[in-house]
Amino acid sequence: MKKIVFDQVCKSYEKKQVVKDLNMKIKAGERLILLGPSGCGKSTTLRMIAGLEDITSGDLYMGGRRVNDVESGNRNVSMVFQNYALYPHMTVRQNIEYALKVNKYPEKEIVERINEAVRMLDLVGLEDRKPRELSGGQRQRVALARAIVKRADYFLLDEPLSNLDAQLRAHARKELVRIHEQYHQTMIYVTHDQTEAMTVGQKIALMDKGKLQAFDTPKNIYHKPANVFTAKFIGSPPMNVIEATYDDEKLFIDGKKMRVPSAWRKVIRKQGKVYFGIRPEDVRLRKKENAKEYSLKAVIRYVEDYGDKYGVYFQINSTEMLAVCEGEVPMPGESVYFEPNFDKVHFFDGESTENLGYPKEE
Amino acid sequence: MKINVKQMIAHIFLGVLTIVLLFPIIFAIANSFKTLEEATNHIWRFIPLNPTIKNYIHVFETLPFGRITWNTFLIAFTVTIFKSLTSIIAAYAFVFFDFKGKRLLYFTLISTMFIPFTVTMIPNYITVSALGLNDSIWGVALPQLADALGIFLLRQSMRTIPKSFIEVAKIEKVGHLRILSDILVPLVKPAIISTGIIFFINSWNEYVWPVLILKSKENYTLSLALQMFISAEGGTDFTVAMAVSVITMIVPLVLYLIFQRYIINTFALSGIKG
Repeated sequence: MKKIVFDQVCKSYEKKQVVKDLNMKIKAGERLILLGPSGCGKSTTLRMIAGLEDITSGDLYMGGRRVNDVESGNRNVSMVFQNYALYPHMTVRQNIEYALKVNKYPEKEIVERINEAVRMLDLVGLEDRKPRELSGGQRQRVALARAIVKRADYFLLDEPLSNLDAQLRAHARKELVRIHEQYHQTMIYVTHDQTEAMTVGQKIALMDKGKLQAFDTPKNIYHKPANVFTAKFIGSPPMNVIEATYDDEKLFIDGKKMRVPSAWRKVIRKQGKVYFGIRPEDVRLRKKENAKEYSLKAVIRYVEDYGDKYGVYFQINSTEMLAVCEGEVPMPGESVYFEPNFDKVHFFDGESTENLGYPKEE
Repeated sequence: MKINVKQMIAHIFLGVLTIVLLFPIIFAIANSFKTLEEATNHIWRFIPLNPTIKNYIHVFETLPFGRITWNTFLIAFTVTIFKSLTSIIAAYAFVFFDFKGKRLLYFTLISTMFIPFTVTMIPNYITVSALGLNDSIWGVALPQLADALGIFLLRQSMRTIPKSFIEVAKIEKVGHLRILSDILVPLVKPAIISTGIIFFINSWNEYVWPVLILKSKENYTLSLALQMFISAEGGTDFTVAMAVSVITMIVPLVLYLIFQRYIINTFALSGIKG
């Protein structure tokens, strides 16, 4: 009974609408990531669950109960803030136990819970330090400890790792998953970092300009993006998405004609404007002598060295795309043949930008 | 060594300023330990030839000075405690609550700082009289129990506290009073201390309002007593008046010396340039 349901939820600040008609069902015990660029409404959505923001219209249900008018303290949530919000005048122990003490938990239980959290988060020996005497990673763990000792049904995290360096972040991600697997709360995690989203999430809600763009598993979001925004947002480097015209069973990219395999022709069907998407790692660039039937002539513009691979920027007439390749380094100015791997391309509607689907496997 | 001209000018300026500001204090202390004769003949002598504490003895003999000091303290203490409490609560609401008309209410409240005392003097006098507090120290304290300056200064200081501190507490079901006492007050303690000192010193030095309310000598405050000694009523013995001045300024001076760090920080933070 720890599920969360958004039913047509809107949030406005004066005239500005920051969350628009949000419909979303979060299963009990699930790790959901709210992902999106800054200003997309993800933090506001999290804060509505926490009860820190009023809901302008629509209904929010938590555990089957409508909570629009339920005070934050009565929602059984715990939250980790981006700045950790540790009280600077209290020690680590005082920070962790404060809420339990105020809510008059029995002393024995407080001690047990704190000892468990301190052990689990590797804070033994730091209990009497003040937050300013801790490193960023330690502070983040204290904030986590404070949130888990409450053993709330809902565990909310607002960009909890954004103040850590890359190495610590990778470690903290694993820790978060471990904590969740131990307590199985419904976990809502806000981030703008897609690596975090893909590694921590069981499900991702991708938002943009207050609207839910995609709501699916990380795998599906990556491999079958629901629309152009999702396709471009997920994946690094981002997917090449270019405008094209489909006509007479052929695809026209910047005036150049490319044949489309028959399986795809059944999917696209409707003639006219489409968006053609392909991830840089799925692009093949071939020399003229190896070019195949579904390829287009292109010119190399710029090459980036990633160490193990190369990022190759190339142009088909004036349309620029990126390929990530291994092996021989192409030179700028060189002519090549662009060859998409049609098992891994995506087509989106030219108007709605929604995914047109994929050929049925035969 | 290279001489920094800018710094030198600043030092000279500050040095002159210090002398100008310290002068009346040293003048009062020096003359309070002189006989009237020495003071009359050698008013600028800063170290008395025959130091005497006769002036101080005279002050304590002619007036119930212990009582007067106690009255002054009691008023200043009450005003400080109440003003601090009302300022803390109001500033908390102005910073951490969202309600309709918040800005309007705040700016209306702050604009009362610019209303001169002479405008509110008569309505306050009538109110205090109607409450039967004429000639009572509580009548002096009553109109000063809340004030816009304190709200302004504490609001500035509370705005530096991240909102998430309060939000964590809300999520954890901590009530407003606990939030105030356990989280906010410890965090803005320096600002509370400095505004408290300002309230205390202002009340301690107040003259016009007590003179309107207080009639009997046993209810007098120090500034009223001081006035007695420089007017015909207490005799025009100038050295005695200096002794009363010294007694009056001891408490504010000591308080300021102890807490000056807090006071400077609070004003620096509020954006008011002193």
